[in-house]
Amino acid sequence: MTTNVPVIDSHAAAPQAGRKNFLNCSQGFWSWAGTLDHKRIGIMYLVGVSIALLAGGLFALLVRLHLWKPEGVLFGNVEYNQIFTLHGAFMVFLFVIPAIPGSLGNIVLPLMLGAKDVALPRLNLLSFYLWVTGAVLATLAIVLGGFDTGWTFYAPYSLYTDQAVVTIGLAVFVLGFSSIFTGLNFIVTTHKLRAPGMTWFRMPLFVWAIYATSILQVLATPVLGITVLLVAFERLYHIGIFDPRLGGDPVLFEHFFWFYSHPAVYIMVLPAFGIISELVSVHSRKPLFGYKLIAFSSLAIAIISFLVWGHHMFTSGQSTYAMFAFSFLTFFVAIPTAIKEFSWVATVWKGSIALNSPMLYTLAFLVIFAIGGLTGVILGALNVDIHLHDTYFVVAHFHYVMMGSIALAFFAGLHHWWPKIFGVIYDETLAKIACGIIFVGFNATFIPQFIMGSRGMPRRYATYVPEYEPFHQASTVGAMVLGGGVALMVFYLVASLFQRKTAMQNQWGGVTLDWLSPTPPPLENFDEPPTVTTEVYDYSTLDYKTMQTPVA
Amino acid sequence: MFHLPIQDPASATQTPAPPPVVDAYGQLTKRASTFGHVDDLFYFTYAVCIFFFVLIVAVLLFSVVKYRRRTWDQPAASNTTHNTPLEVVWTVIPLIIVMIMFAWGYMGARDMTIAPIEASRNTIKATAKQWNWTFSYPNDPAQSYNEVWVEVGRPVQFLLESTDVLHAFYLPSMRVKRDVIPGRYQTVWFEPTEVGEYHLFCAEYCGKDHSQMYAKVHVVSAAEYGARPWDKWDDSTPEAAAKSGASLYSQICASCHSVNGSAGVGPTWKGLFVKNADGSIVGRQREVIEGGVRKTITIDNDYIVESIRKPDAKKVAEEPYVRNAMTAFPDLDDRKINGLIEYMKSLADSK
Repeated sequence: MTTNVPVIDSHAAAPQAGRKNFLNCSQGFWSWAGTLDHKRIGIMYLVGVSIALLAGGLFALLVRLHLWKPEGVLFGNVEYNQIFTLHGAFMVFLFVIPAIPGSLGNIVLPLMLGAKDVALPRLNLLSFYLWVTGAVLATLAIVLGGFDTGWTFYAPYSLYTDQAVVTIGLAVFVLGFSSIFTGLNFIVTTHKLRAPGMTWFRMPLFVWAIYATSILQVLATPVLGITVLLVAFERLYHIGIFDPRLGGDPVLFEHFFWFYSHPAVYIMVLPAFGIISELVSVHSRKPLFGYKLIAFSSLAIAIISFLVWGHHMFTSGQSTYAMFAFSFLTFFVAIPTAIKEFSWVATVWKGSIALNSPMLYTLAFLVIFAIGGLTGVILGALNVDIHLHDTYFVVAHFHYVMMGSIALAFFAGLHHWWPKIFGVIYDETLAKIACGIIFVGFNATFIPQFIMGSRGMPRRYATYVPEYEPFHQASTVGAMVLGGGVALMVFYLVASLFQRKTAMQNQWGGVTLDWLSPTPPPLENFDEPPTVTTEVYDYSTLDYKTMQTPVA
Repeated sequence: MFHLPIQDPASATQTPAPPPVVDAYGQLTKRASTFGHVDDLFYFTYAVCIFFFVLIVAVLLFSVVKYRRRTWDQPAASNTTHNTPLEVVWTVIPLIIVMIMFAWGYMGARDMTIAPIEASRNTIKATAKQWNWTFSYPNDPAQSYNEVWVEVGRPVQFLLESTDVLHAFYLPSMRVKRDVIPGRYQTVWFEPTEVGEYHLFCAEYCGKDHSQMYAKVHVVSAAEYGARPWDKWDDSTPEAAAKSGASLYSQICASCHSVNGSAGVGPTWKGLFVKNADGSIVGRQREVIEGGVRKTITIDNDYIVESIRKPDAKKVAEEPYVRNAMTAFPDLDDRKINGLIEYMKSLADSK
């Protein structure tokens, strides 16, 4: 993609001396807390979701430590149930859903479109503060005694337990609005603020992915909001919607919940796909294989994902006809997903593969997502799912997607755009080591869970029968390694902000508009509005021979 | 917040079934029912997954080694962005494979859902409540708790009901699982093929002691089954009844009621009855609240029966018992309640 941006010297180090950028253009608390700049809001999101990730990760380590022995080591049953609930709720609602759209999406999407900002900057800031409100409410729920319903809030248990379910329900409700507003903003931005010449099929795939995600956020999240409101009403006023003692139907809750939460899986994973599409292309320096198929498969997944919620309920006593339909559609969603994976692999094939840390995280994603996706196929088979449902096999499967794929894609994207955002580069050696530790630790954590799950170990167990002990211990050791890897990553990323080792203007030799704005970008992103005249991912437009080789 | 886990009485009295043997491929627990299609499809899918995984990783590794960027300006070896035959192949072949899996899995699930007539004629009722299982056998007044017996080679259906929240009836060795939903009946069936002891887990999160909601499944020969091994209730003498009562106590009562005077969710059983100098055992006086009115009653058999079947009728007027709700056991038969009362009376000795 080439543009009329001759002022930017792709070959120079960044930031250029004396240039004002969005980081140093103004100072003081309110210049951040009251900012309307998408990049500053993105950085505030980045800080927020990172804290949520570390909190959720700490809960995960507590869960794993507790399960070292069959009778449990650290907690009583109630405390254990609260901790695994906190792990799930923090990770899902405060990290995985908002992480990529809120932070990297906010920062990168307008840059990639050649826009000055998102279409609705005030709404963007409101989304962030709603996220903060949700985070405060979730923390308040802990202070009020915690909650032990699991992140799924299944009725009628969530109606009977004496814990702070209404408070966390309110948190989820508020977070839902944060997510809806972000989605709305990105849809409008994508439609209205593309640079001249940027047709739909010249949009980078990250934009496509965020766009598909946004549609899901706007359409699916209201259902979650209504569902948690109904739970709150049911608890406070005993209406009889979900409570069987009042003539309600607890299975109805499951339908409502998964009608949101299955599309939510794709709200979480599509942005990760977008990041991987970008990174595979840039770091292989090759146009993405099957661009249109990948773009369409994002939309196909977005649509089909609304029709497969019943596969979370195969053992709930649904009719064989419902099972037939839901299983069929579930297998169908495997196809666009497989197409993506194959296309990424084909992009790497015969590329010019840079083995830098963003690419290592990307390669780790491709391996882990292959396992996460393929084990999903095992679970799609109806009779096999009856055996594996609600066991550690499912736990391992969705962690391969949630943690192994989405969090790794988030890390990959963070490493990729870090020099763009901050103008500094982190310690590349440490980054490679951390990536290796995370990859090994992750697999060591969850492969034993696949094995014990297929042997019948149910999930959400504070204690367990002794035969599963070796697998739990292996998994706990793996989790400690994984935690160490993430801690190392946080360390060198934060350290890079103080070391201030200057990054290149175009650190990786990317050709999308985000790399053709100054690094770090000025307040309104581009010195003059860019126009697009060539196809996306056309690496012949940059002269790499005259570019300075990046230090990292 | 940090304290040692309380040992659940149900599992304290009962050691879990021995670890099941692993099957020939080393991945699944050895199957002990006729639902072989679960294992067959699992391993078929597993093999397909391994094939695609190896393919993906091999291509990635090969590319990373062969096409690694050695100098900064090294261009890609190829700029191909399309290969229609390849894209058709990698769309159509996976589609065919997953459709096979779909059909195979659907047929299996249908088999598991629709119980044969022999199974429905041999229906055991399983009642799930926080956090134990009660089993009632066809035309048999005796029930068993956290233990169930089925006959080898004979299809059996379980009729599942919950009296409180969601549970799930999960027998890994039989490959069956069904959610137990309050307010509706669910059924599940299987045909056990091997004599032995197996795990029955609750697989749907149901609160505090979810992980200890465990039952042992005994698959026994027809002769053994005919002897009604679940009927262990001996009330031939008051002492025997008290002993049976003690055993039932440890299964369904001990999680809330102590017998040593210590406070629990419910009041202790120690001192409900006292022994007079002449050796006769009489009930103590107790303050209760009935219909909002505080009154003093004498503990007797009728009060105990009512407290078990309708616990809310008279609440002990003492914190925290006046607030705590007890699970009702309306179906507990007279012999069992009598055994519990004999056990309570036997505690009058332990001063």
